[in-house]
Amino acid sequence: MEGKSETVQPCVLLRRIRDFTRSVLEDVCSDRVPVVRIDRFRNYCADSSGKCCCSFDLSDGKETLTLKKECHTQRLDVLLKVLLIVQKLLLENRHGSKRDIYYMHPSVFVEQSVVDRALNDICILLKCSRHNLNVVSVGNGLVMGWLRFFESGRQFDCIKYLNTAHHIPVQVEQISDIMSLAQYILVVEKESVFQRLANDQFCGTNRCIVVTGKGYPDIPTRRFLRLLIEKLHLPVYCLVDCDPYGFDILTTYRFGSMQLAHDAKFLRVPAVRWLGAFPSDSERYKLPQQCLLPLSAEDKRRIEATLSRCYLQREVPEWRLELDLMLQRGVKFEIEALSVRSLSFLAETYIPSKIQHGEYL
Amino acid sequence: MRENAAKAFVRVWKVMEICFQILTEEKRVTQRELFYKLLCHSPDYFSSQLQVNRSIQDVVSLLRCSRFSLGIMASSRGLIAGRVILQGPNQEVVDCSACGSSGHPISGDLDYLDKLSVRTDARYIIVVEKHAIFQRLAEDRMFHHIPSILVTAKGYPDIATRFLLHRISRNFPKLPILALVDWNPAGLAILCTFKFGSIGMGLEAYRYACNVKWLGMRGDDLELIPEPSLVPLRPRDLQIAKSLNSSGILPETYREELARMVQSGKRAEIEALYFHGYDFLGKYIAHNIVGANYI
Repeated sequence: MEGKSETVQPCVLLRRIRDFTRSVLEDVCSDRVPVVRIDRFRNYCADSSGKCCCSFDLSDGKETLTLKKECHTQRLDVLLKVLLIVQKLLLENRHGSKRDIYYMHPSVFVEQSVVDRALNDICILLKCSRHNLNVVSVGNGLVMGWLRFFESGRQFDCIKYLNTAHHIPVQVEQISDIMSLAQYILVVEKESVFQRLANDQFCGTNRCIVVTGKGYPDIPTRRFLRLLIEKLHLPVYCLVDCDPYGFDILTTYRFGSMQLAHDAKFLRVPAVRWLGAFPSDSERYKLPQQCLLPLSAEDKRRIEATLSRCYLQREVPEWRLELDLMLQRGVKFEIEALSVRSLSFLAETYIPSKIQHGEYL
Repeated sequence: MRENAAKAFVRVWKVMEICFQILTEEKRVTQRELFYKLLCHSPDYFSSQLQVNRSIQDVVSLLRCSRFSLGIMASSRGLIAGRVILQGPNQEVVDCSACGSSGHPISGDLDYLDKLSVRTDARYIIVVEKHAIFQRLAEDRMFHHIPSILVTAKGYPDIATRFLLHRISRNFPKLPILALVDWNPAGLAILCTFKFGSIGMGLEAYRYACNVKWLGMRGDDLELIPEPSLVPLRPRDLQIAKSLNSSGILPETYREELARMVQSGKRAEIEALYFHGYDFLGKYIAHNIVGANYI
C-alpha cells in the first residue's frame, strides 16, 4: 500500500518543479504558446454500468491550459505563484497551510478556492499528494487504545492511558515503530461518541484502537488510518449516524472525496466496514419513536444524489440497500439515540455484539 | 404562573433529576445524550437541543456550580506549548516545549487541572485565538525566541482552557498574559471572554477571568497589510460588536478599537501578515512585546 506519493522526496519534487518551469520557459523562448495539460479526476459518477473511469482510477481526460485564453492566463499565473511558494517551503523545510498561501498574494488570488484549485493542479502535474508539497492543515483527529508509536522522536503511548484521547500527528510520514495489541480498529464519526466510549472505559474491556476524525476526516486522519492498516493488518469498523451526512462520511473514509479525487488512491481505506447505525437498527434495538427524526427535503435530495454514485452499485450494493431503506422510511437518527435507555449500551452491548456476530456490511 | 414559565420551571427540575441519576451512576453525559434522554422521558417539556442547553444554564446558575460538576462531559479544545512543565498526580512530567507543533492537549477534567503542578521560566503567556497560528508559532519554536507559554482554545475559549490559564496566572502573577486575535469583533469577543469571563454563562462566568492584554491585531497594524487582505464585516460580526458595546465591560481603548472596526466595515485575519513572509509573524510579535505595545 506504500503508494508512489509516500516515496516522493522533496529533492525529487524540486526537480520536477524545475523541469516543469523549464518546459514552459522553453516554449516561451521558442515563440511557442505554452500549453499545460492537467489530468481530470473524479471520485464517482452517475454511470451505473461499472465501466466508467472512476472504477479504474483513471483520469477522465485532460484539461488544457494555454496562454491564448485570458482566463487560462490568470489560472496559470496563480499556479506559478503558488508553485513558487511551494518551492520555497520545500527548500526551507517549512510547512504552511492553504490559508497562509492565500494571504501571500491576496490581490492576485482573490479567493481561497482559487488557491485550493491551484494546489490540486500542482499535485496532479507533479504526481504527488498535497502533504508532499509541505502544505498541511491543523490536525483534528483523535486516537485512543492499544497502540504505541513514535513521531519525530516523541513517544505516543496510548496504552498507558487507555481511555485518554491523543491527537493524531499532522506529519504522518514522521510516524514510526508502531506497536499494537489491538484486534480491530473502530472509527467513529463524532467526537461525542469518542468521549462516550472513553467515559465507559471501552478500551479497557475491548482490545482495540478507536479513531475519530470529528466529522469529515482530514488528510492526516485518513493517512494515519491507512498507515495503521498497512502495518497492523487489522479489520476496520466504522460507526456513523444513520443520516445522509453520516453515510457521506462513511464513503469518504472508504472511497475518498471528490475534492481530492486525484489523490483518492492514497487516501481511501478500502478495508472499512459499515458497523452501524443501520436504518434497520431502529427496529432491532427498539429505539423510542421520539428519537427518529424525519428526513428533511434536503436530506432526501442528498440521499438520492448519493444513491446514484457509481461505486455504490459496483462495490457495496449492500450499503446501497440500507441507504435506500433510509429513504423509504423517511427517518434518521443519531448514535446517541442508542444510549437513551442505558448510557453504556453502546459500549457494552451494541458494538461488541455486532462485531462478534459479524453484523457489519 | 404562565404556562411557558411553568414549563421552564419544570424543565430545570427534569434536568436536575437526570444529572442526579448520572452522578449516582458515576458516569458522565454529553449534552446531546442529555437531549435524547429528556426528549424520550419528558417529551411534553423538551423538543430541542436549545431548550436543553438553556435549562442546563439555569441549573448552573441556580446551584452555582459548573456544568462539569453536574456530570456533563467537558471536552477541552485547548492546547498548551512552550516553556512550561506540567505534572499531574501520579503522572508523568510533561515538558510542553517538546510537544512538537501540535502542543499538549489541555484536559477537560477541572479536578485534574486543579491538582497539576506547574513549573515555568517563561516571561510571557501568549494566548492565541486560532489553531493554525498556534501551530505555526509552535513549529517555529517561538516560545524559545521569546521565553513564553503558548495557549489556544482553538476559537471561543472553553472552561478548562480558561481554568488552566487562571491557575497558571495565580501561581505566577507577574507573568503578563498577551492575546493574539484576528482584527474583528469575534476576535475581540474571544479576548474579552478570557479577560472578563463568559457573559452567556451566568454566575460561572467571572470565576476564571484573567488580566489579559491585547497584543494584536489592532487598528494600527492595518498599515502592515495590503488592502485586498481586508474582508468586509459580516452581519454576525456587527451583532457581536453591538452586544460587546452594550455589555458595558469594555475599557475605553477597546471601545475605540471596536468603533474603528465597525466604521471601516472591514476585518483582517492574523494570517494577512504572511504577506511579508513566514518570518514576519514572529518578528511582529517580538516587536510588540519588546515595545510593550499592548493594551
